[in-house]
Amino acid sequence: MTLIPKSRFLGGAEIAAVLVFVAAFAVPAITKSVLIYSILNQALVGVVAAQSVWIMLRMNLLSFASPAFMAIGGYTVAIAGQYEITDVFAMTAAAFLVPALVAIPLGALVLRLRGTYFVLVTFVLSQIMQLLLFETPGLTGGSNGISGIPPATIFGTELATNRQVVLFACGIALFATIITACLTRFFRQHFAAIEENEILAESLGLVVWRYKALGFVVAAGIAGLAGYSLVTMLLTAHPSSFDSGTAVDFIAYSIIGGRSSILGPIVGTALMVYATNLFGTHGQYAQGLYGVLILVVVLALRGGIVGTVSTLLRKARGA
Amino acid sequence: MEQFLQATIIGVSLGTQYALLALGFTLIFGILGVVNFSHGGFYMLGGYVAYACVAHAGLPYPLAVLVAILATGALGWVFELLLIERLVDDHLATLMLTLGLYLVMSTAMLEIFGPLSMDFRFPVTGALRAGPIYAPLENLVVLGVCLIAILGLWLILFRTDLGRALRALADDRSVAMAQGLRPKILFPAAFALATGLAGLTGALVTPILSLSPGVADPVLATSFLTVILGGLGSLGGAALAAFIVGIVEAYSSVYFGGSIGALVLFVLVLLLLVFRPQGLLGREIRGA
Repeated sequence: MTLIPKSRFLGGAEIAAVLVFVAAFAVPAITKSVLIYSILNQALVGVVAAQSVWIMLRMNLLSFASPAFMAIGGYTVAIAGQYEITDVFAMTAAAFLVPALVAIPLGALVLRLRGTYFVLVTFVLSQIMQLLLFETPGLTGGSNGISGIPPATIFGTELATNRQVVLFACGIALFATIITACLTRFFRQHFAAIEENEILAESLGLVVWRYKALGFVVAAGIAGLAGYSLVTMLLTAHPSSFDSGTAVDFIAYSIIGGRSSILGPIVGTALMVYATNLFGTHGQYAQGLYGVLILVVVLALRGGIVGTVSTLLRKARGA
Repeated sequence: MEQFLQATIIGVSLGTQYALLALGFTLIFGILGVVNFSHGGFYMLGGYVAYACVAHAGLPYPLAVLVAILATGALGWVFELLLIERLVDDHLATLMLTLGLYLVMSTAMLEIFGPLSMDFRFPVTGALRAGPIYAPLENLVVLGVCLIAILGLWLILFRTDLGRALRALADDRSVAMAQGLRPKILFPAAFALATGLAGLTGALVTPILSLSPGVADPVLATSFLTVILGGLGSLGGAALAAFIVGIVEAYSSVYFGGSIGALVLFVLVLLLLVFRPQGLLGREIRGA
């Protein structure tokens, strides 16, 4: 048993992940730079979406469905806003639960599929969501989306300034990280068994579908939270915010950061969002960078950034 | 009735285009077990290569189409040989490699040609009229070329040694290799064949529809939809499904308008997966 590193019992990565977002609350106290607020806010939305992708990656399932569930979460909040329901606690619960509930029947449908088929079907799901958003103007505003969403309120106080919105995004990211950490810590071995060899795990008596369904439903809820955070940042819900192409970004964040640890999507998102902003007005070129980095990670650095760094550290310690 | 016939012509013509794309996609999956996320990218690349040949090199259009086929085929060959080959048995890794390639390709096209649509016109214009029915000549030419390409692919796969070898690899790789078939040569060949088909479709269809870096995504989605419907890896299924998708799309756009048709199609495919996950003509899911 001495071979098992201590962190497996302490959950060092999970604690570090939570601390990152606790620390993020301090950023608005340190700086008033609008640019930093904007980058941080983008990263905080992205990291929640990336965690949704990462949960499924823990079971070796690549999901393109995150924008679809983000849309459900985001539009839930936008529609509630039209009825003047803006309380943060109520809406956080709604943004998590509504996509999670939708994910239950969808999960029953798509989790029958393994590997390749699952990937393709989640891609199709996010396409369906786009079409649904356009085809239901009565509910979602169609191609106009829903604009002029009232700001979120906490105990009756409006979160209207940039600074308050960043703090709100920190809160959502912290909440999402805690849920993700608890889920993946608690079912670490189950998820690992499915990742390693699903058929073997099943033959050893693991009720595989139960954990996959749980992962899928929670991942949908987490994506919903990302949608809430995004809609609150933009104060509008528009189909283009939930384009199926954005799924590629979140997948890139998780893969480049590293899929073996919860720090992976966090490090990946932070670096990629920062790099995207370096391109300035040529943000569309960031996709090329993602592409090159994905190729590098898959071919050479299988653990992504976090995996590679921790392997190097372990080697250095061993030497 | 005229409307119906008109929609049928559009549907069949769409169907042949989708068939070319889906056949390539399913060929790569069937033989290599790789889901090619860059398939739409090769379609786009075919369009741009043809455009560059016509607009900048002054080549006649048919020659430009040929160059597009060769260029996309060559890139597919090199990509398979250098990158895919190393991880060919890892579904998720190869999928991400092709996704990475696609992102690089579309960014490169964006850098070279810019985000706007190109002024790329089909050289044949005019229309064929038979009584009340009206068919644009350009669509008929594309239809004809696509049908010839499908026939050619069928001949390669079912009437040549190369085709027999490829199908043997798709059926059972280890037995095929024990018989002396060499994946090191055949895998890149299969990949090149498929990407060349995507390039051909792009070179033919983008002058009629449009050519911009954004054209790849819908093409990829349609390819997915078609192969899921037909059954991943099934050639017959892909061809059949392509015509179903094309015709449903044509009828729904004529009779309902908007994207209702696409929505219905997506939902139908989703439901099909519940009752028949292997698709219309697919066999048991291959290792997936």
